[in-house]
Amino acid sequence: MAAAPTILERPQRWDAAFDAEMTDADVERLLATAPFRDMDAEKFPKRTPLREILRNDTRILKFRKGEIIVRQGDYGTSAFLILQGAARVVLKPDLPPSLLGRQAPGKKGLLRTLAQIWNGSRPAELISRRQLEPSTGLGARRAAGKVRVFLQDVPRILDQYRTAELLAGDFFGEIAALSRMARTSTIFADSDGTELLEIRWQGLRELMKYDGALRAHINKIYRERALASYLVSTPLFRHLNKEQLVEVAKAVEFATFGDYDWSGEYKRLAQSGSVRPEKEPVIVQEGDYPNGIVLLRAGFARLGQKFGGGERTLNYIGAGHYYGLREIAHNWRNRDAPVNFQFSLRAIGYTHLLIVPTRVMEEIVLPSLPKTELPAPMEVTKEAWHSQPVAENVARKKIGAEVLEFLTENRFFNGTASMVIDLDRCTRCDDCVRACASTHNNNPRFLRHGPTTGSLMVANACMHCADPVCMIGCPTGAIHRESFAGQVVINPETCIGCKACFNNCPYDAIRMVEIRDKNGGFVVDQEMKPIAKATKCDLCVESHGGPACARACPHGALSRLNLNNPDALAKWLKL
Amino acid sequence: MNRFRRQFFIGLFALVAATVAALWAHRRFHHALPDYAFLTGWALFAAMFVLTFFNARKKLPFLPLGKTETWLQIHIYLGFFTVVLFLIHLNFRLPHGGFEITLAWLFALVSISGVVGLIFSRTLPRRLATRGGEAIFENIPALRHALKTEAENLALGPEAKSPFIGEFYTQRLAPYFAGPKNQWRHFTESRRALHALLAELDDLRRFANDSDREKIEKLAALMRQKDGLDYHRSLQLALKLWLFIHIPLTYGLIVFTLLHIVLVFGFSGGAR
Amino acid sequence: MSNQPSVPNFDAQNYARPNQNWICGHACEGHACRQGPDANGRCRATAECKPMLETKPGEIKGRWRCTRSGGECEAGPLPDGSCCRPIAKCSPVPTLRVWRGRMTLAVVAASCAVLLVLVGRPPWRNQFISPGEISHAHSGELFAAVFATNHFKENCQACHVAGNSGPGGIVTAAMHAKPGILDFQGLANARTAEPTAIDASCLKCHAGRNFHQANAPPISCSFCHAEHQGKIMAAPTDANCVFCHGNSATLVAARVNGGVVPVIHHFAGDHPQFRFLSEKWRDPDTLKFNHALHLTSATIPKLPGGEKLDCTFCHQPDATGALMKPVTFENNCRVCHSLQFDPATPQLMLPHGSVESVTAFLRSLPKQYLNLAIKENTAVANAFVAQKLANLRTLFGSGEELEQRVFFSTATYGPETQIGTLSGSTRAMFPGCAHCHEVKATASGLPEIRKPVMPERWLLQAKFTHAKHTAIGCAQCHDAIHSEATADILLPPKETCAACHSPRGGVADSCAECHTYHKPRIAAR
Repeated sequence: MAAAPTILERPQRWDAAFDAEMTDADVERLLATAPFRDMDAEKFPKRTPLREILRNDTRILKFRKGEIIVRQGDYGTSAFLILQGAARVVLKPDLPPSLLGRQAPGKKGLLRTLAQIWNGSRPAELISRRQLEPSTGLGARRAAGKVRVFLQDVPRILDQYRTAELLAGDFFGEIAALSRMARTSTIFADSDGTELLEIRWQGLRELMKYDGALRAHINKIYRERALASYLVSTPLFRHLNKEQLVEVAKAVEFATFGDYDWSGEYKRLAQSGSVRPEKEPVIVQEGDYPNGIVLLRAGFARLGQKFGGGERTLNYIGAGHYYGLREIAHNWRNRDAPVNFQFSLRAIGYTHLLIVPTRVMEEIVLPSLPKTELPAPMEVTKEAWHSQPVAENVARKKIGAEVLEFLTENRFFNGTASMVIDLDRCTRCDDCVRACASTHNNNPRFLRHGPTTGSLMVANACMHCADPVCMIGCPTGAIHRESFAGQVVINPETCIGCKACFNNCPYDAIRMVEIRDKNGGFVVDQEMKPIAKATKCDLCVESHGGPACARACPHGALSRLNLNNPDALAKWLKL
Repeated sequence: MNRFRRQFFIGLFALVAATVAALWAHRRFHHALPDYAFLTGWALFAAMFVLTFFNARKKLPFLPLGKTETWLQIHIYLGFFTVVLFLIHLNFRLPHGGFEITLAWLFALVSISGVVGLIFSRTLPRRLATRGGEAIFENIPALRHALKTEAENLALGPEAKSPFIGEFYTQRLAPYFAGPKNQWRHFTESRRALHALLAELDDLRRFANDSDREKIEKLAALMRQKDGLDYHRSLQLALKLWLFIHIPLTYGLIVFTLLHIVLVFGFSGGAR
Repeated sequence: MSNQPSVPNFDAQNYARPNQNWICGHACEGHACRQGPDANGRCRATAECKPMLETKPGEIKGRWRCTRSGGECEAGPLPDGSCCRPIAKCSPVPTLRVWRGRMTLAVVAASCAVLLVLVGRPPWRNQFISPGEISHAHSGELFAAVFATNHFKENCQACHVAGNSGPGGIVTAAMHAKPGILDFQGLANARTAEPTAIDASCLKCHAGRNFHQANAPPISCSFCHAEHQGKIMAAPTDANCVFCHGNSATLVAARVNGGVVPVIHHFAGDHPQFRFLSEKWRDPDTLKFNHALHLTSATIPKLPGGEKLDCTFCHQPDATGALMKPVTFENNCRVCHSLQFDPATPQLMLPHGSVESVTAFLRSLPKQYLNLAIKENTAVANAFVAQKLANLRTLFGSGEELEQRVFFSTATYGPETQIGTLSGSTRAMFPGCAHCHEVKATASGLPEIRKPVMPERWLLQAKFTHAKHTAIGCAQCHDAIHSEATADILLPPKETCAACHSPRGGVADSCAECHTYHKPRIAAR
């Protein structure tokens, strides 16, 4: 007779509220404050009414003067609304890290580490009952457990660093929340008694979806703030003065290509075998008139060239890179021998870009650049063009054409910690998998198998993408970015097993695993269905020493590489 | 320089230096010290003990004990040096007596299996990568089963209308798809078996109409896939089986070594 | 169609778990269950669903509901709450790692078993653990009988403390060893040839440490005599001897009654000259003998057979062949030196051996002559006797003078002047005892003749055997033909020996060829 199964209530989206201490009074107060009082509650669906969004997806935080609210570079998924008091934004250049109180995330203690020796005999994904019950203290712990760092000498900072003030009613943090990028600036409270409403992005998404005014407002401030700070930090524009920057900012166009939820589409295409460059949305077409420089803000784009009947990849560029400067600079100086766009730029996945029109470039930007920084004039003939060493060709040279095509075809360049395996050295001993399992409750978090090109395999492990598509749609925020180094981690205590991330991940890196009790039997809900949680590689955030897989390979065949640019891979391939 | 080449040179240099030092010490001391055999024995034991640390490191991947890659390099070059120590301990003579001969054989087998394992680890992966068709070892039976089912359906299924293909399948191909085949041939990189079988299949073409020809093509494709799977199984099994000699015999060697220490001291000139 | 086989598609739903020891039995068909076998390899499959007891408000017993994920089954759960559709259990398959673990266990168990049996049971054990053959003397039935133990042939306990004990005893002996198991310093600092505990075993039979020098440093028996090296125990090597004799500090510390013993490394090299030569010993023999005369003179009589006198007539090897039998008057001298005092009566000879007997003989001459006459059947004995005596009186005057002449004279008397003759086998004339012996007159009237001293051997520290040197002629080593004085010691110098006993000469020149460590069994005479 088998042991009786362990039964629990199935977890729900708002089982773990963002802040368990949100009371009805708080919610009433919010509903009476702008912008919520202007929202039409009827527009919100029954499953997610406005009141519940406010109760479960927001929380009220109190700050004292000098306390840091968000730090530049942190990954966070919340936006903030100032209810009372004031805050200050540190403009570029930002505060040094020592002032921001950066600390490494917590690692397992010595006893817990040593206890893993006995992991091999325990059932896989063993989770104790205590960890499973949604504790009322969960949300609260998160709030109270956070260490607040104070800025020691606020007047001096105000003196030394450029800051801007934010007052009651102002939003901030929406850039990071919506674009899944790191916080752009450090913000600290400017007076005692500052009260903020932190809205996690699941809530922000709902609010923006169903309230037009908020959506427009957020878009507007997004443009004003994000753009301004971005332009200031772009090397191309650093010689411009304030007025010129404003001019440029006014003329810049936003564009987004691809689907915010691009992974679903990609997966479908990949399965039908019809992922082809020609099908990707075109940002810039080869041969078109260069009407502006394309600055990539988020996402990835592929630089391609017509080849045979198709298009071959020269490079892929990520956030912070641009295309079109060579052509426009050439045209500016050789009016009688103008050139068109030499390559085409296609959006891979979801890209968010800025286009600086040619007119602005010619009138304002290019004259400001010193002669040495202008790109050399281009040879016009096609033959000569191909024989020139082209900056764009560098990626092909570094890692080889075949590998480049392979990476772009499979969208692997998204990964900041892709698992690459050298099949010439791998003895298929599975030591890496075993090491991963013993560090993670006797269940490995990756599959030593994946697409292969030549002797290079990209294994099926979470790549901790620069653009983590998996994070879209998580109802509880269980999947999040660790605030220090940016690893994408799933918190099993809050995961409800809804499979959103599992379905989203274009690389099948997330797998649902049934949790077990100490007898090895599945933990079931009241319907007797096993409860599963999403699991994936977490780059061993809690362990000492870094990813156990790479350290466990006896032949140096496995490595976690940043594929955002080809340098790391080139270095590894050469070795 | 290639990282692996650098590792090799460092290791080789350390090994040569250590060997030269050991041989010099042997010349200098082996007549001078009366208990020289005991001292070299302890040196040998210490080296063997450190070699076993490698297994311990593998069992503790969650502790920051350094990369397994480094440990393996130490294990390999120290292993070679241990052979030198072993020869010095034996004073370059053959052992006498059942016990000592058994002990020496155990050591020899462990060392030789280690060297064989090293050779395997450096040559077989490249062969696997070149062949392509990566498969996880534990999944191979399932993959083989899938191929078998597909081939069976093709040849004998309800849609199959060519009895001669069915007959050929039953007689020649069913055993081929039934289990792992040609393991030794794959290890020695011989393609003869598959070519022969494909040639036989090919011979059926003269009796085939168009749709049959298609079937034959598909069967041939399945056979090639099965061959690739067998190849992977053969080499991956070799990569796992050498440890079946290296590790169990190491434990046997440890048992014998401990007893050797007790015997040698218990029967030594100084025993009371 | 690509030449390379395609990478099989992996399962997006499941991880591969090589860390688990057991694989579901259905995995080989491609449908491994998600539950998996337990840690002991038992299938955990039970039934298709786990029925749930639903109690609606107002009900007491409730109703069992099917919870199958594919949809409820028609029959529904059985009344006792179990599912009506059980799943057949599979046979979980152990992974290769499990097999490796089993093999390791088997090897360890086999090793332990073999060792327990072989090391536990002494008769087999002794053969099994012996690191080399034991010499004749210490093995075999005889040795075992001497030791009165019950293990035939190999009798380890004779020497090793733990020889007969079980495993416990061996461990105890190992723990008490000196230097001990972990005593690295002791092992490194042990001095060569230092006696160890096992020497006590040697002394059980080989009683008394017979060192060739009283205060030589104690040396372990096993330093020179290594056991377990084969049926025939090897002789000690030169290195063993040189260990002390090549070390002047040791020699200085061990010297007896002053005097420095020189450092010796090899025979042909720095081995000192033989002492009789370097200290210029003289043969103290009181018998005057001239080798050169006897061997080369033209006037020496021939031997009865007609040959010339040679070395081998006087010097005969003794029973062992090593040394020469002492030269005696009766065997080797009388044949020529017949002691006939009366030239006219050569058949009457003086006795040899003691002064008293000669004196008695001389004083009873008439009787002697009478006996001779009787023996020779002379017709008139008395007349014969009187005749003879009268002759004697003519020669010598009186009896006393005859006595004096016999004992003290060194010259011939009578018409013959030389002792020997050229031809024939005529005996040498008797000149008088003093010709060969040292005769001293004493107060008591009887002269004193000291007994000749003939040392049997001169090389006291070495053992020499003539039997091995028969291929060499006597004269190659013994320079007799140039020796005229008795005091000459006719042994060769070291160089003569080293001509052959050296690396150049080719004959064995190790210390053990001539010397023994233990006190020589033959005492010097």
